[in-house]
Amino acid sequence: MSLNPIERAQGLRIRSQQDMAAGLFMVALGVFAFLLSGDLPLGSLRQIGPGMLPKSFAVICAVLGLMLSLASLRFNGEKLTGWAWRGVFLVLGGACLFGLAIRGFDIGPIHVPQLGLLVAGPLVILVSGLAADDMKWKELIIFAIAMTTACALLFKYALSLPIPLAPWLLGI
Amino acid sequence: MDMIANLTLGFGVALSLQNLALCFAGCFIGTLIGVLPGVGPIATIAILLPITFGVDPVGALIMLAGIYYGAQYGGSTTAILVNIPGEATSVVTTLDGHQMAKQGRAGVALGIAALGSFFAGCVATLFIAALGAPLTKLALLFGPAEYFSLMVMGLCFAVVLARGSILKAFCMIMLGLLLSTVGTDLETGQERLTFGFPPLSDGIDFAVLAMGVFGFAEVLRNLENPEARDVVKAKIGRLLPDWSEIKQSINPVLRGTFIGGILGILPGNGAVLGPFASYTLEKKIAKDPSRFGRGAIEGVAGPESANNAGAQTAFIPLLTLGIPPNAVMALMVGAMTIHGIIPGPQVMTKNPELFWGMIASMWIGNLMLVIINLPLVGVWVKLLQVPYRLMFPAILIFCCIGIYSVNNQPVDVAFTAMFGLFGYLLIKLGFEPAPMLLGFVLGKLLEEKMRQALIISRGSFMTFIERPISAGLLIVAVVVLVIALLPSISKKREEVFVE
Repeated sequence: MSLNPIERAQGLRIRSQQDMAAGLFMVALGVFAFLLSGDLPLGSLRQIGPGMLPKSFAVICAVLGLMLSLASLRFNGEKLTGWAWRGVFLVLGGACLFGLAIRGFDIGPIHVPQLGLLVAGPLVILVSGLAADDMKWKELIIFAIAMTTACALLFKYALSLPIPLAPWLLGI
Repeated sequence: MDMIANLTLGFGVALSLQNLALCFAGCFIGTLIGVLPGVGPIATIAILLPITFGVDPVGALIMLAGIYYGAQYGGSTTAILVNIPGEATSVVTTLDGHQMAKQGRAGVALGIAALGSFFAGCVATLFIAALGAPLTKLALLFGPAEYFSLMVMGLCFAVVLARGSILKAFCMIMLGLLLSTVGTDLETGQERLTFGFPPLSDGIDFAVLAMGVFGFAEVLRNLENPEARDVVKAKIGRLLPDWSEIKQSINPVLRGTFIGGILGILPGNGAVLGPFASYTLEKKIAKDPSRFGRGAIEGVAGPESANNAGAQTAFIPLLTLGIPPNAVMALMVGAMTIHGIIPGPQVMTKNPELFWGMIASMWIGNLMLVIINLPLVGVWVKLLQVPYRLMFPAILIFCCIGIYSVNNQPVDVAFTAMFGLFGYLLIKLGFEPAPMLLGFVLGKLLEEKMRQALIISRGSFMTFIERPISAGLLIVAVVVLVIALLPSISKKREEVFVE
């Protein structure tokens, strides 16, 4: 979006928060990747080393980020919007719980047995389902049971993938 | 006559009972998921990837191709009935398709879309069969330098044709390339960017990245902005177009097929241009252009044929050169790799039954789409009314089971959640993640070919310019970038994507 004369007279300021943040993000990412690949040898053109491409890509990322940030001073654009943390936590948390429950895990003193799909399935549906504003408990519970059954039949039996169902209860 | 022999071989493979069933299942499930509003083809394929794991490679590819067509067609159905395009290529369909639906002619719009797509699919299948062998021969002449330049050109096209800001699309491609360098270096065995973390030493898993960014992050995006669903209340009406409607549509279908088919071959998402080009052309040569946007059947017939023709000819660069032209095809590469097939010219010579079987199944898949979709329109309409509060938990459990089954590693699920967060951050920053997937898939190949080319040329970068084909490809890449950055064109580009 180009500027009208009045706006142009106002000098440089952040005209697109989103692009500014996006640019800084790319710069940070580029710098981070560059530092991380710091000890990898560049090699020569004749024999390119393992560090050559990661470092070049990192530099290009940072330069593009810088360009994006500079452009955000010049062109009007979108504002940054807040994060929907509830959804993020419930949805991604639900997925992580699935990962923990499907085969069991040990972290220090905590020990979770191998719970299998019959527990992990309803868990992910119930937890993530809470993220919807118009959630209804009864509906969600029925849906969780139906979906888990359907997935168990589809993946375990129709497609015969090696997914534990409920080793602690059924032994499979 | 080779072509006929090859196609016979292909049909022999594709017509086996098992493969027919897989093709049917793929088309059916692909449509089923693709028809859900807010779930585009990329997400559909990512979500459905795991259901192909238990099948042999030929069957799995046939099924995946079926899922792809189904997802494409499902996207058009939502475009017509709900006014939500599943992805860029069905944006144009919403213009006239949804208007037709509002006038109670949804059935005809869906019917002509299916029939036009079927015709386009038939032509495109023949096209692929005819071009497959010669292009593969050409590909065998390509050295590492040519491959490198071809990929650079493809990435430039992808930048130019991406939605939104060119600079941001460029960022995404580079980010994808950067992510592809994570893992053990192929030549020296040194670990790169792995934080010394063992699961990363094999590199970032493709399925984890795709499902995180297109499964999880997409769910988060949709939860945040619930799309206003404008499901048509009017009757669906009869499905088969009558004689006068067919006569009106024949020429647009022919032109659309031609345009879409040609643009689809371009390495670098040319397929996305097909429907736009077709729509513009139809509007230009129409006797009464004012009908467009108010339910003109040509405005559905042309773009839908172009869409399907392009969707199919996009397989050409993938199958013959092993280079995916867009994010959907990048997903197909990932899927093939999971099944142990490295796409490229060697597929046709080493696994002819796979190559030709897949091509034959494309035609069968298109036929199935017509058979499945026309009678089942009622079911799809019902599906459109499934509330999102139930849809997204179902998507999640599918993704979770899928990621777990790739390597039977629970850690992968947590990784995917991390990439989901990353994808959400990208969306918040206004990035469109599709080019990243393309960059990620091409990255490893790009590095390998570049290193090979430089070893052959003894470290001289001039090799990319001295070899004529390579130089030509690079010139095209530069020209495309320069043209796109010219102010007058970039303004037009904005308009096209805003529409």
